[in-house]
Amino acid sequence: MSSNDVEMKEAGTVPVEASAGAGGAAAESAAVAGSAAATSAASVDAGKPVAVPAEAAPAPAEPQKPEPEDHRKTGVSDEVVVEFDHVTKTYHLYKNDKGRLLGVFGVRKPGWFLGDVNANNNLTFKIRKGEAVAFLGRNGAGKSTALKMITGVVYPTEGEVKVNGRVSALLELTAGFDMKLTGRENIALRGQIMGLSNEEIARLEPKVIEFADLGLYIDQPMRTYSSGMKARLGFGFAVGTDPEILVVDEALSVGDKAFKEKCVKRIREIMMDENVTVLFVSHSSSTVREFCSRGIVLDHGTEVFDGPIEEAVAYYETNY
Amino acid sequence: MLSTLSEILRDNWEWRHQIGRLSIFELVKKSRGAVLGWGWFFIKPAMYDFCFWFALDMGLRQGAASGSGAPYILWLCAGIIPWFFMQDMINTGTDVLHRYPYLVNKIKFPISSISTIYTCATLIVQLMLMVVLFAIYFLCGQPLDVYLLQVPVLLVLMFVFWDMVSIAFSELSAVSKDVANLIQALSTPVFWLSGVIFNVFGIGIPWIQAILNFNPVTFFVTSFRSAFYDKVWIWEHPGLCIGFAVVFVVTFLFMVFVYKRLNKEVPDVL
Repeated sequence: MSSNDVEMKEAGTVPVEASAGAGGAAAESAAVAGSAAATSAASVDAGKPVAVPAEAAPAPAEPQKPEPEDHRKTGVSDEVVVEFDHVTKTYHLYKNDKGRLLGVFGVRKPGWFLGDVNANNNLTFKIRKGEAVAFLGRNGAGKSTALKMITGVVYPTEGEVKVNGRVSALLELTAGFDMKLTGRENIALRGQIMGLSNEEIARLEPKVIEFADLGLYIDQPMRTYSSGMKARLGFGFAVGTDPEILVVDEALSVGDKAFKEKCVKRIREIMMDENVTVLFVSHSSSTVREFCSRGIVLDHGTEVFDGPIEEAVAYYETNY
Repeated sequence: MLSTLSEILRDNWEWRHQIGRLSIFELVKKSRGAVLGWGWFFIKPAMYDFCFWFALDMGLRQGAASGSGAPYILWLCAGIIPWFFMQDMINTGTDVLHRYPYLVNKIKFPISSISTIYTCATLIVQLMLMVVLFAIYFLCGQPLDVYLLQVPVLLVLMFVFWDMVSIAFSELSAVSKDVANLIQALSTPVFWLSGVIFNVFGIGIPWIQAILNFNPVTFFVTSFRSAFYDKVWIWEHPGLCIGFAVVFVVTFLFMVFVYKRLNKEVPDVL
């Protein structure tokens, strides 16, 4: 929680730094929110009241809480690992597949082409190595789209997403496996897709198996797994690969209590490593507060707040 | 356009190790759960071959000895074995993204390379069948000669061409089920209106023959037969070469166009 946050926004647009000079937490975040609002000028829903900075950022209740919240990451280096540069993601919506097929050939028949939706609208931010950042926002605010672009499976329509480092995503734990292959083969398959060598996969395999704790099922085809088993394997794989950037999207809501605790414990261990950057999406303010040091609030694809986590959570809870 | 092409080539080159390993996995998956395992890659074509041989040579008395005196079965195999590759590419290769949805929108993986995975896997099976074809060839007492040099060239050409077809059509199939159905419906006419089970040069009606020249299946089948049976060079059938060259260029342009339009949109809709 330093001047980092302000510096980060400078890259965005309007430097509102004058007010941040004072160094007070409230002033700082006001500056942040201010420039965030400026960034979002071209929003789709311009009619919506966008963050009035001054009142939007109430001073945090306890600015310096001493001991118990040690899981938060502190060691932040200057190296930027994730950079969004004016990123807009537009989904083209058609009434049906026929319309979409015609759309490929440049024909947008009225009635078949329903319109464009900007899931992310002109997002600009930088995340440095070792940070733990929470994305807050209501359903449909564009959090998952942003995370998907970071994992590289979805491409921005405009702008550029730069990612340095090995991303491991806990987006949908049960996804990304081939149901016809066994658990063990899937570990090898995923490892190979990531470009690991055979030795690395041999080292990874016992770690994943141990974490997933599937017993004999590890050599059974995955279509015979229960959803909990798939999730365990998925989580085991995602955390077993020593990620440099860990993306967690509501993943902790799966599994029984014991497994959840195991997951949380493992995420904490990973976060202890100063070189790991964590991006977190959750609706649970307490989880977010526990893990993250910085929060970015999205609303209809537009960034409305970027600052220290307490303020971000407070902002989110007051406004939504 | 060049940038799109270089993007496709770069992706496929950078991910070549993964592509190689995933194509092995594709074969493992296909033979999974069967006692005979990899044997099925041979049994099915053998059945097919036998049926055509029986129907055409025994039943319809269509078989005719060539100048070199090679038996009809070699003529048949030299055409049908490449067809197995093309059949797989038409039926599954053109809708391969639905086969690997997790590579499209769950894991970072270049989309054009998914087609290459499937093409590689199919080519591996094809190479095994080629070994069988060569065995039949030598069993029929045919000599090792320069015309056989066409075989590796044709295999490479077949790989490139059908990989392009797969890239273009699987992206379209991902967007629209109509495309997948259309291509699969075309599979049967493409087979019967090609030279797989009859000699296109025996038709005798020039304009029909000219149309058939534009069927890529005709080109490959006839070319393989030129190498194994008729003992001529590909370019001794100029009409066929021109027809294929046109189809190749059109397919290439079409692939680049579709890829450029759809590559970034496919993960959103699949």
